[in-house]
Amino acid sequence: MSVLAATKRGQRSGGDDEIQRKHAVTERRLAFGLLAPSLFGVGVFLLIPVLLVFAFSFIRWNMLNSPDFVGFDNYLDAFRFEGAGHALLITTIYVLLNIPAQTVLALGMAWLMNRPGRFTAVIRVLCVLPYLATPVAMALIWQWIFNPTTGVVNVMLSWVGISGPAWLNSSFWALPVVAFANIWQYVGYNMLFFLAGLQGIPHTLYEAASLDGAGRWQQFKSITMPLLRPTLFFVLVTGAIGSFQVFDTVYVMTNGGPGRATTVMNQLIYENGFVGFRIGTASALSVILFLVILAVTLVQSSYFNKRTTYEMV
Amino acid sequence: MKRRDFLKLSGLGATVMGATALTGCSAQGWGLPASNGGRAELTYALWDPNQQKGYQKSIDVFMKLNPHIRVTIEQVSYGNYQQKITQQYISGNAPDVFWVNTPWIGDWVVGGVMADITSRIAHAGLDLSIYNPDLLRLHQYQGKTFGLPKDWDTIAFFTNATHLAKCGFSKVPTDLAWNPKDGGSYLHFLKQITLDTKGRNALDPKFDPGSIAVYGTAATNDIQGCFGNFFAMNGGAVLPHPYAAESVLDSPQNVATLTFLTQMLQGAHVAIPGNQTGPNGDSTNLQTLFASGHIALWQTGDWNATGVSQLSGFKIGAMPLPTGPKGRISVLNGLCDGIAANTPHPQEAWKLVKWLGSKQSQEIMGQGGYIWPAIVDLDPAFNRYWRRKGLDMSPFLAESRGQTVNFPVASGMQEALNDLTVALGPAFLRTRSPAAALRAAQRIFDYRISYNAPKG
Amino acid sequence: MPTTSAEARTAVYLRKIIYVLALLLIAAVFITPYLFAVLASFKPLGEIQSGHAWNLPRHFTFDNFTTIFSQYSFGTYLLNTAVVTIILTIGQVAFSLMGAYAFARLRFPGRDALFWGYLAMLMVPNVVTMIPLYVMMSKAGLINTYWVMILPYVFGTPYAIFLMRQYLLSIPGEVIEAARLDGCSEFTILRRVIVPMARPVIITATIIAIIFGWNNFLWPLISTDSAAVQPLTVGIANFNSSFAQQWNLVLAASLVALLPMVILFAVFQKHIVNSVNLTGASR
Repeated sequence: MSVLAATKRGQRSGGDDEIQRKHAVTERRLAFGLLAPSLFGVGVFLLIPVLLVFAFSFIRWNMLNSPDFVGFDNYLDAFRFEGAGHALLITTIYVLLNIPAQTVLALGMAWLMNRPGRFTAVIRVLCVLPYLATPVAMALIWQWIFNPTTGVVNVMLSWVGISGPAWLNSSFWALPVVAFANIWQYVGYNMLFFLAGLQGIPHTLYEAASLDGAGRWQQFKSITMPLLRPTLFFVLVTGAIGSFQVFDTVYVMTNGGPGRATTVMNQLIYENGFVGFRIGTASALSVILFLVILAVTLVQSSYFNKRTTYEMV
Repeated sequence: MKRRDFLKLSGLGATVMGATALTGCSAQGWGLPASNGGRAELTYALWDPNQQKGYQKSIDVFMKLNPHIRVTIEQVSYGNYQQKITQQYISGNAPDVFWVNTPWIGDWVVGGVMADITSRIAHAGLDLSIYNPDLLRLHQYQGKTFGLPKDWDTIAFFTNATHLAKCGFSKVPTDLAWNPKDGGSYLHFLKQITLDTKGRNALDPKFDPGSIAVYGTAATNDIQGCFGNFFAMNGGAVLPHPYAAESVLDSPQNVATLTFLTQMLQGAHVAIPGNQTGPNGDSTNLQTLFASGHIALWQTGDWNATGVSQLSGFKIGAMPLPTGPKGRISVLNGLCDGIAANTPHPQEAWKLVKWLGSKQSQEIMGQGGYIWPAIVDLDPAFNRYWRRKGLDMSPFLAESRGQTVNFPVASGMQEALNDLTVALGPAFLRTRSPAAALRAAQRIFDYRISYNAPKG
Repeated sequence: MPTTSAEARTAVYLRKIIYVLALLLIAAVFITPYLFAVLASFKPLGEIQSGHAWNLPRHFTFDNFTTIFSQYSFGTYLLNTAVVTIILTIGQVAFSLMGAYAFARLRFPGRDALFWGYLAMLMVPNVVTMIPLYVMMSKAGLINTYWVMILPYVFGTPYAIFLMRQYLLSIPGEVIEAARLDGCSEFTILRRVIVPMARPVIITATIIAIIFGWNNFLWPLISTDSAAVQPLTVGIANFNSSFAQQWNLVLAASLVALLPMVILFAVFQKHIVNSVNLTGASR
């Protein structure tokens, strides 16, 4: 920060007041100039839409006719007729399938890879590539791999005598398969966070603990886990926020089906807003999703705030 | 920002834009109008690849007669047709002329997507008496016309004539009657043509309902193909009037009709169980079931003439619907060609629509056996075409001249129908009472059609 | 606890084997999807249907790629995605850097409040802004143009600003002070001092922007409706719904989208891995 610079400047000489003021004005103008584009962007493309979506949720409009004010009807009908309750349930199940597994796997993989060596370095890199892989494109590949008759998975299962399920056509398996695709995509990137966290824990702690007779699991529980809490918090919160908004893989792989088995909230919003052109109802659904995500984030934050220590011995 | 940097950045930006504009198609990407060399380029959207061949022939003639108009046919899949056209209309690049089916016309008329052609019709002095008046009404709203009928369809039966002959019916009966109390002569007939694996029909005391070889027919969760017809024949209806905001689905007459279709027919084992006909008991599998000889009568519309004529293995016939308490009533539907209200070429689009509604164009379509032309005089052409192929389509024609009920028209109809199918599914799968199913159906149906319904 | 040294050695040996197996399994899970897709995209459809995913192509062919480029507009999709991504990235990184510098090194009234305001916007999920944005763009007549895919993202994003501000804060103040004393204008400082020193975070922000722009799907899906403008993601999804069973074409199509990202990753792999430290997760 420029505190040091400011102090230094102040120490120079009293007659610089005029210059200081001029400098301050220039600085303000400059700041405004530098901030103008992002102010415009955030204001027009983020702030205004957020305000508008609340307003839209109280009208009925299909972009063609004139809008009607309907109060809370859209919210009520979202649950009565549009299946919002079901979609929230499906989304929650998806998040529960996705995030815990992803986090545990990422942590496990970080633990495994936390040692030097060309082999681990290569695999580390390999795990991160999915992070960039276009979800839509990967969804097609998964669709092929999980094809009930000709896909690799069922072919290999048949070798061990198991008749594979219909995967994406099965109302039981469709959601786990979508969760798998998502886990595959992000577990490597999350592993990097845990790796960085693991590498930030000094060896001396572990050495001291094993001198005290603590086994590896004990060390993991008492040293690694508590010190990884900030990383864990970050991974869980960002993961949850992202998972609640899943769309690409669902739309391409199942389009909400079979039946409504994978109709997550974002899919429902898309169908209401851009297939049925029910702007009001889709806005109400967006607000509902927003509030759910907010609530989950707040709950997670308060849970972690109570239990996290940043102190290092 | 230093001027030099600004100029450098602008130069870069302009180069990028210019480079992409060179590829031609990207002119649209930047929102610039594309040039087209003095000709009016029209897009004509449809979904049926079979009919596309006939329409291409008709449009080739049109383009010869109008050399300054070029028409490109664009095939859009039926499944997301309404969404695609609406989305393109909102962004200003809808097809200039497009097929319109009745489930969508309510939304498009109320939403102003289709151009009002009433004054154009008057100006051109077109004689609307050449069309079936009920068909014309399908495309009208508050006295204004939005499309000229270009085809029609009714519902009747395609029959497995070989099987019927085996059961003693060398000629199809045309005087069957049904009623919700005891099924009438229709039920009796169905029993005579339902055979178990040992060849016994359902009237036979030794009939084995556990191993049925051929069912008489299928009564399916299909408003146009099945229950819409029967509702009308028993004095019930779906809507009290077009563009209503409330339906009349849950009426005692409809409950009685639905009970007849789902409980009585399936209970007598003459109708194939609902879980075999398609999801929610709809008619997805009927063509396959009919082709493989599992059902003797296929209740459907005449648009399946092409598909049915390609079947082999048995002779195909046609039979009219049975008469109900209020007479013999068939659902009548038809497509029209809509003009996008914001088309950049309204004159040329109207020329095309006029052509497609004209006798010349409809003759081409009728003679090729593609569709029943909407112009009443031309009906015999379609009939002749199929007679030559050994298929007698007269029952469909006769019904169109008798009592008909229009396919229901209202805003939000497509989604209302989707939800109606889901709500009535349990009734056809016999897991819920018809009364309860209709009650649930009306609730969600009314939500859908009232969402954007016009006020007053 | 192991007792004899022989037991200890066996235990260690076993652990090593399990460790290697685990690594191999992980490697397999992460390689095979691409591998199979690449192999399949060079096979004719019959070979895909009759053979196994891991078989090498017997009738190696480029036909799948030539077909999707010549008959199904994939060249157009590729061009559209490239144009949108490049412009979006340049703008986003430049404008975010400017804003980040203002927050990090300049003083002005309301600076911290404004910064917290930006941070608050980070909390807003994408889906919330989608519908009003669509309506706004529709009224502006920008639907189905490149503008609609660029504008919402090109003026800088709160995340990029946050990321870069954190980094800029760590640049020692003396360097900037020295430049100021030398009489350099602020712009020159930005260009000659800040940008070179902030290279790591600039590259990170660029990569993030490219990935976002290239993979963006939902917004282009709803805001574009003709092949002349649609990006690869939308083109692929539409292609899939019409040609789902033609695996040879479908997989070739997905590779067209994936290949540039793989190249990007290969070139900037170190930066991507290091970007984790920049986000300060393990604070």
